[in-house]
Amino acid sequence: MIYIYDGTRDGFLTVFPTAYTDREALLISTQRQLILGQQTVTVQTDRECATRVKKRLLSFDVKCIQDLEIILRCSDPLRDDVAFRYIKLIAQKKRPVREMLGEDAVMTAKDDLCKVKHELERFRGFVRFMESASGALYAPISPDHDISDLIALHFRARLPNFPFVIHDVTRKKAAVYDGINLFQAPLENAEIVLSAQEQAWQNLWKNYFEHVNIIPRERLKQQRAYLPVRYRKFMPEFES
Amino acid sequence: MFDKHTFVNYNRSMISQEKLTILTNGAKYDVSCSSSGSSRKNRGGIGNGAVAGCCHSFTPDGRCVSLLKILLSNDCIFHCKYCLNQANADVPRATATPDEICELVIDFYKRNYIEGLFLSSAVHISPNHTMEQLLLTVRKLRLEYGFHGYIHVKGIPNADQTIVRETALYADRMSYNIELPSEQSLKLLAPQKSKESLLIPMKRLARETQLFREERKEHFLPAGQTTQMIVGASPESDGQILRLSQSLYRSNGLRRVYYSAYVPVVHNSFLPDTPGGALREHRLYQADWLLRFYGFNVEEIVPEGENLAAEYDPKCAWALRNMHLFPIEINRAPLEMLLRVPGIGAKSAYKITEARRFTALTFEHLKKMRVVLKRARHFITANGKFYGTDNETAVRGFLAANETAKNATQLNIFTDFEMEQREAQFALYSNAETALSALTGEL
Repeated sequence: MIYIYDGTRDGFLTVFPTAYTDREALLISTQRQLILGQQTVTVQTDRECATRVKKRLLSFDVKCIQDLEIILRCSDPLRDDVAFRYIKLIAQKKRPVREMLGEDAVMTAKDDLCKVKHELERFRGFVRFMESASGALYAPISPDHDISDLIALHFRARLPNFPFVIHDVTRKKAAVYDGINLFQAPLENAEIVLSAQEQAWQNLWKNYFEHVNIIPRERLKQQRAYLPVRYRKFMPEFES
Repeated sequence: MFDKHTFVNYNRSMISQEKLTILTNGAKYDVSCSSSGSSRKNRGGIGNGAVAGCCHSFTPDGRCVSLLKILLSNDCIFHCKYCLNQANADVPRATATPDEICELVIDFYKRNYIEGLFLSSAVHISPNHTMEQLLLTVRKLRLEYGFHGYIHVKGIPNADQTIVRETALYADRMSYNIELPSEQSLKLLAPQKSKESLLIPMKRLARETQLFREERKEHFLPAGQTTQMIVGASPESDGQILRLSQSLYRSNGLRRVYYSAYVPVVHNSFLPDTPGGALREHRLYQADWLLRFYGFNVEEIVPEGENLAAEYDPKCAWALRNMHLFPIEINRAPLEMLLRVPGIGAKSAYKITEARRFTALTFEHLKKMRVVLKRARHFITANGKFYGTDNETAVRGFLAANETAKNATQLNIFTDFEMEQREAQFALYSNAETALSALTGEL
């Protein structure tokens, strides 16, 4: 049986108990295209049921919900299934399984976890803010995985006095910090009036970036490995 | 909503493009750029420390941009022969004001261009004057601008210890660059520096850090001290360099020693015209990692007067010399031994020790766990099975072949002929062995 759910954590936890007892369960979130001629069930998210399941799972492994949330952010088209097999193994063994690397389910889950966490780590460095005329900071990003709100947590701790917007342009949503609260909002296009000094600071940065390079030691391949070209879209130092 | 720290001093002078160019050019040969080791919290200002460090960009030379690496001044009174900014060099000179630096840091930091500041300086007017200016800048940055990000400050040799100590209160990391791995070379190439001027302040800071830690006071160099050595400008062997590194790690509590392959920026009869190869630098780093994270002793890695093998990495070279210890069974071998298998690093070793608690691991498991087996398979058995080559010569061939393909263009720098030539050139000036023992003797 194919179970269709909304792709959220609570949706997953609602469908989990039913799918757990089904030997041929396959989980799909609505974002994926349906396959013709197969039996499907659409499961509506039920908060209460989700809370119950969450509590039970947490009694096996305190970090499993955290893992689940991260796996569901991965851009891997099979993420629902990966998460399902991982959580199912936890439910079967009734204990944390993340160190059982001989198990397939654990390895695939670990791969997705690593992908998201690695990108999160990279974006802590690769986000580039622009200063708007009002003093708020604005950064457009286009990450592979859905991580804009997680990055925002990092910047809230770092720049508590600066309101900022981190705009995921591919997913058309933004993490917004107004100086007190952090929240998510859908955002299509943003029109930003830059501050008077913004361009001057960007030019200084480009100048710095150009001159800190040691020309006879050129290693473009290594540069590409650390900073893939797709991440350079919003970085002033790579503007031609 | 806004803290007074953040917007105070706004609209002061922005550093000029020309000044930034000069001061960046002077600072870029410093290798250290790591921003790890400090977990400074944000206390109502701007910034915090990231314990694991953070890279913000990568330049075309493959190096990361983590800290804003800049000189306060490049107007130097010292005559270090290898240096671009030595007193009698004909280069444009510039000196920045503390405010220019602070403002640059804050504005770069809030745009997330950088993780912090790496502040260094040429010896301007006098060592004490320079150190005072450095202190002034970092104190201003911390207290007036409310900056809680990472700060690395370079120590100026021969500066007064009280100024150095106060600077350390505001910095996350400090470093004195040893530059040349023996006293003899130091005398020859950097006549105003001496081993005392570098090692004594290093030791004092280490002692202070120890005291602070015991009394659990506030921050005092939470990310410790580092140093840097130029490789290939003077005749010391890898064996000597690594012995010096080991003693610095063990007796002075240094966090890191950086090695920088010599880049000929200045032409001088005392200095070679060829660059110290990137491969040699790479091998030294590999050996350095073995010392710090893999439980190796320098005696196991390389004899004193010799260089590291160019054709294998140092761990492979050690394993090939100790073939009688292999193969080891990965399901039973202790962690220390797993770490000594070529191709198995700290991460893989940890994965193996965790996973083998639940099942007997086979080669299939290892592959799935992404343990790299290209080199390791000659040195391990998995659940009793061996997939490597028994013949020692064949193993040697396999390992060397992999490496040669990777480093094909770099290897030619290291032909014996050239090394001999360079050694002959320096034999006149320095007895490397005695110089090293002089430098390390008291450590």
